[in-house]
Amino acid sequence: MAHVLSRLLTPCLIALPLISAFPAWALQPAKDKVVLTISGKISEKNAGNTAVFDLAMLEKLPQKSFTTKTPWDTHPIKFSGPLFRDVLTAVKATGSTIKAIALDDYTTSIPMGDTKKYDVILATRMNGELIPIRSKGPLFIVYPFDSQAELRSVQYFERAAWQLKSLAVE
Amino acid sequence: MMARPDNRRFLFRLALGTVVMAVVMAVLLVMQLTQKQVIGQGAEMRADSITALVFQFEREFLRFRHVLDSTVNGRIKPDPEVLNLRHEILISRLVLLRENPSTTILLERPEYISTLPQLDKLINQTDGILAKTPPDVKALAVLLDEFVAIGPQVQALSLAADTLVSGEVERQKTTLLAQNDQIVWLILAQLILLLAAAAGLLARQRRQEQERIALEKLTLDLRDAKFEAEAADRGKTQFLANMSHELRTPFNGILGMLSLLEDTALKPQQADYIKTVRNSANHLLALLNDILDVSALEAGKMTIKTTPVHMPDLLRDVEALMRPLATGKNIGFSMASPVSLPPWVMVDGTRLKQILFNLISNGIKFTPQGGVTLTVRVAPGLDGVYGLTFVVQDTGIGMDAHALSRLFERFYQVDGGVARKHGGTGLGLEISRSLARLMGGDIEVNSAAGIGSIFTLHLPLPVGATPSDSRLAPTAALTPLADGEPAVTQIAKTIDLVSLPEGPATPRSPRVLVVEDHPVNQKFVGVLLNRMGCEVTFCEDGQMALNALQRQTFDVILMDINMPVMDGLTATRAIRALTGAVSHTPIVVMTADVMNEARENAMVAGANDFLVKPVQIGQFKETMQTYLDSAQPA
Repeated sequence: MAHVLSRLLTPCLIALPLISAFPAWALQPAKDKVVLTISGKISEKNAGNTAVFDLAMLEKLPQKSFTTKTPWDTHPIKFSGPLFRDVLTAVKATGSTIKAIALDDYTTSIPMGDTKKYDVILATRMNGELIPIRSKGPLFIVYPFDSQAELRSVQYFERAAWQLKSLAVE
Repeated sequence: MMARPDNRRFLFRLALGTVVMAVVMAVLLVMQLTQKQVIGQGAEMRADSITALVFQFEREFLRFRHVLDSTVNGRIKPDPEVLNLRHEILISRLVLLRENPSTTILLERPEYISTLPQLDKLINQTDGILAKTPPDVKALAVLLDEFVAIGPQVQALSLAADTLVSGEVERQKTTLLAQNDQIVWLILAQLILLLAAAAGLLARQRRQEQERIALEKLTLDLRDAKFEAEAADRGKTQFLANMSHELRTPFNGILGMLSLLEDTALKPQQADYIKTVRNSANHLLALLNDILDVSALEAGKMTIKTTPVHMPDLLRDVEALMRPLATGKNIGFSMASPVSLPPWVMVDGTRLKQILFNLISNGIKFTPQGGVTLTVRVAPGLDGVYGLTFVVQDTGIGMDAHALSRLFERFYQVDGGVARKHGGTGLGLEISRSLARLMGGDIEVNSAAGIGSIFTLHLPLPVGATPSDSRLAPTAALTPLADGEPAVTQIAKTIDLVSLPEGPATPRSPRVLVVEDHPVNQKFVGVLLNRMGCEVTFCEDGQMALNALQRQTFDVILMDINMPVMDGLTATRAIRALTGAVSHTPIVVMTADVMNEARENAMVAGANDFLVKPVQIGQFKETMQTYLDSAQPA
């Protein structure tokens, strides 16, 4: 019995270091201009009580990209950036709601569930280009609107905050 | 069946109503869809309202201007970072205002057309100033002036957006209200149509109900009319029965007197006259008998009295009576019966003979040449019941299908001319078949015009025991035709009147009391009894008879039923109620009433026997002899 169990566990044990690789690296301090500040229920911090990211740190995380239409543009746009849930994992977030705050102080609440259920990204690039502030940059929470009809509603459009400045995990 | 015009009109209206209703509903559906589209127009992709976008732009405009103002007026230290951030955000709001799909209509407003290029220019100017680090404060002061100057125009943008949105909402509201009105009207129309349809259906239902009631009433009326007609028919039948009954009484006298007259010395010419009179009388009596039979059958009063009958004798009687008819017409008559024919069967011999006489005499009547044959067949059945078949075949004129189909109808005669020539009531076949059916059998007929006809009588007859009392034998009831009368209508009931056999001599004169009010009958019966050697005393009613019995005893009393003062049945009961030997005097009741109850009533009253008028001489003689013999044992 123990033998069988160990045989089953072995591949898991081998895989474990790979999976836990990037929390294990710990969050490096931001070297460049901070574009995202995460506060609240997080256990990985690099700037006092908060975790801060520069663009390079975000671009180092696994990247995800998709093309979708948004209510704010006439044409579909290809968005790329880290998955929201990966960013949250990086700071070991444990809350149930994330409050997103934009540069113009626009605030919206995102359930933690959204980040698990959908491939929501913190887009750093639109059509391959970094996003200037005047084009809703530098960070843009984007839901894959075109992949699911239920996402094409005011409820989700409101959660897609652009000119994202900070996140507060609650 | 063709649909009635009324019905067709109803169906047309129904179809029309359905089509109109369907069209109205389709229009409603389209309107609802349109409304849905109006409400949901662009909603999916319009996350932000136009006013919100314009408001946010104005807010960011004011925020940048505030930072600029603070910097120029030295309230804060010049900070390129902060200025840039606010400027960038302001730009993003302007971009959003211009490129957002929902703001297209806004950009067509004159306020936007004039202001947006100025804003672009201002932003380019700002870009240039902010590109230098640190920014030139004087240039910033100039910029501030420009931003202040354009302030009212930016505010005007917000107001324009508000007006536009209000107008849009108003327009949408008007459209929706208009559509709503249309929908209301359509629903109203539908409602009216529905009510009209319901009213139509109700009216139709009412009309149908009235028609149904009318139809029911008609049915009832028809049934009543039928009952009345049947009652009238029954009344007529009753009248016929009564009349023929009444007619038989004087007939009895005529025939009796004719018989007596024939026995007197006559000149040949007188004898010939009498013969002619008697033929006519016989014919008339046959007609009366037919009518009586039909009346009895119709009233359900005809009953079949089965007795053991000797078949060979019965057939001999039939032959004896029928052969002269055939011979008289110069056609053949033959009869064949199998050896397996049981000698005694249980049957109403009189009725069986009546049927056979009818079928054979008909055959002879309608056969100008060739002949008529009677063939009897026997098929043994279960429990001693034989299936007897009497086939009467002729080579006569036959009948076509039409005549065959109406053959058994009352008064139907194949050919008016033939019927006139041969006489007859047209009741014979109907009576025969009714009798056959009463006896559990039937008559069927096959015929071909010009070739002949075959009448087949089927009767299921039980085998009868050989009776010990010879009085029941059918031979006694029938005396063969003595003088070969060719009269076609002459049948068994009256045949005995033809001959008057001499009565046998008796050792002493028996005394007979005849209670009879009708003088002709008195005379006739008196002559017959005298011939039998009887001493006859006459009384005219029951009371007189009772008085006579006080004075004298009689061997036999012959009692009529319908009499004044005291009728025969009452008198019979009174005699039976007397004391002493006189109460046992044999009483033979004699009446023209042939209905079955008459006999039964007589027997219940205490009569010993029953004779039907007109009196058949043979039967009369035989019956009387029986009682005379038993009264006076030799």
